[in-house]
Amino acid sequence: MAKAAQSILIVDDEFGLAELLREMLRESGFEVTLANNGRLALEILAEGTVDLVLTDMMMPVMDGAELAAAMRSDERHRDTPIIMMTSLPTARPQLEGLFDAVLRKPFTPDLLLETMASCLGDEAKRN
Amino acid sequence: MSQQRPPSERWPTGIEGLDRILEGGFLVACVYIVQGPPGAGKTILANQTCFNHAATGGHAVYVTLLAESHSRMFAHLRRMAFFDESAIPDRVYYIGGYSALEAEGLSALVTLIRGAIQKHKATLLVVDGLISAQESSPTHREFKKFLHEIQTLADVTKCTVLLLTNAERASGFFPEHTMVDGVLHLTDELSELRPLRHIRILKLRGSAPVRGLHSLRITDRGLEVRPRIETRLPHDGVNEELVASGSKLAFGLADFDEMLRGGLRPGSITMVLGSSGSGKTLLGMQFLSEGVRRGEHVVYFGFYERPEAILAKCQRVGIGGLKEGVERGLARLVWHRPVEGVIDELGESLIQTIRSVRPHRLFLDGMEGFERAADFPERMSHVYSAIAQELERLGITTLYTSETRELFASTIEVPITGLSAATQNIILLRHVEHRAAMLRVLAILKVRDDDYDPRMRELRITDDGIRLLDTFADESGVASGGGLPSDTRGRESEA
Repeated sequence: MAKAAQSILIVDDEFGLAELLREMLRESGFEVTLANNGRLALEILAEGTVDLVLTDMMMPVMDGAELAAAMRSDERHRDTPIIMMTSLPTARPQLEGLFDAVLRKPFTPDLLLETMASCLGDEAKRN
Repeated sequence: MSQQRPPSERWPTGIEGLDRILEGGFLVACVYIVQGPPGAGKTILANQTCFNHAATGGHAVYVTLLAESHSRMFAHLRRMAFFDESAIPDRVYYIGGYSALEAEGLSALVTLIRGAIQKHKATLLVVDGLISAQESSPTHREFKKFLHEIQTLADVTKCTVLLLTNAERASGFFPEHTMVDGVLHLTDELSELRPLRHIRILKLRGSAPVRGLHSLRITDRGLEVRPRIETRLPHDGVNEELVASGSKLAFGLADFDEMLRGGLRPGSITMVLGSSGSGKTLLGMQFLSEGVRRGEHVVYFGFYERPEAILAKCQRVGIGGLKEGVERGLARLVWHRPVEGVIDELGESLIQTIRSVRPHRLFLDGMEGFERAADFPERMSHVYSAIAQELERLGITTLYTSETRELFASTIEVPITGLSAATQNIILLRHVEHRAAMLRVLAILKVRDDDYDPRMRELRITDDGIRLLDTFADESGVASGGGLPSDTRGRESEA
């Protein structure tokens, strides 16, 4: 029986980047859903299983830190890996612990897949 | 009893020249359009305003509606001095609005903006890419409604709004201009081979902007706006009393000072007109050298030779004391490369220097340097008039050089227009052929309201300084190159 594709939720208000990441990850065998803010992401998380969240930091309505905090306080999503994507050079100290990894934009597809694989326990690489 | 209206509250942009032409900055709770072609500097202007705003305690939200990602924008901004990453995201917050606009239209964008202003307590909002909102609007009425909602939002939240757009004003009338409180137009054009950037205030409600074009530069410091120099200087009266009285300022060349009946009147402006290599710069440096010797403050402001080279040359020909004058703080040497299209920057540098030093003597070496930096040649007479007026107002005795284009000609063309009207005295230096030798000639052409010696003298530059000789004592037509041979040998007298 074929193994189900892993589900990735991309949360980013930058339309072009989110679209690009979606196509790239689909080609790598992932199922991908998009949300353009943290609140919409929580609604999607409530509806089904998400294996990993890739989130931007600055977004309207609810930002990446607020999304991560909400997930960490909800036992359904507490252990879901979260990767922060940021244009800023350094992650702020208060964000430590909220995210499993930080990717600085712009990043290469290889670095993204490597980081995802690390967070997913190397399952992504095998996919 | 008349009640004074309180001054309107403004947010300075922190861009000095821009604040000057905006009468202090953007009005709080007002909406402005910043328009111009791609690359004109709109995004830099807006970001610089955001970071300066944050540095003074404000909160800014920057909404992009364009394809450019924030990381690309940051990559370009990172080299700018104003870009302070530590202000992001607490004081400057970036969000993308394009996906909301694409998915749900203008109403969703308004909701997004309203939420962002409230959440981040924004006092400054930038919407970068208004053209996207305009293009996604089904009707023009819808777009006007969007602008009206932004205006209401600005009013209720006391948030100042900048809307950036590529729209070209040249294409006609834009109704949205009637709905905002101000329109700033940025241009980036070529004049022959020269790139010229300008900013112009097309509309500014509740303010008295400095109208017309103002030069603009983009450097690693960010956007720099130079209001036209002729609009910046006060129009106070000339210090006539100073010009008419007071001790004359001598050159320290006995013969020449005698020709000038003691020297130049204080506060006067003197042109040294001459061909290349005729000794203009050295005569000017001699004027400064004598000032330093007398303990006066002097300023050299030039374009061509670097200060070190000029000081070394003065040392070589026996014009002394200037290097020591610099060390003692009496002499200031300011050198500028004549950069294209930044005449207002040069003018500002000159004015700032003379206002801070308040020199007794100023030597402007090569007024053509201003012309080479001019964006529009037709401005020059206004620029020169404004500078001359300021020099007279401050009572600074000024000597400036102007280069004639012809080495040998029967007529002399004064290449500087505008300044000559304010010039009280004219000294001519040129080369002439005399008995199979090229000699330098000095003559005083004009001294306003004063007596002077009109004789032509040979100017000789020696290792011991400048000397004036009576080489042409009984000749005529020397200046025009038609000197007649004389049996009389030149009588030499050391200056």
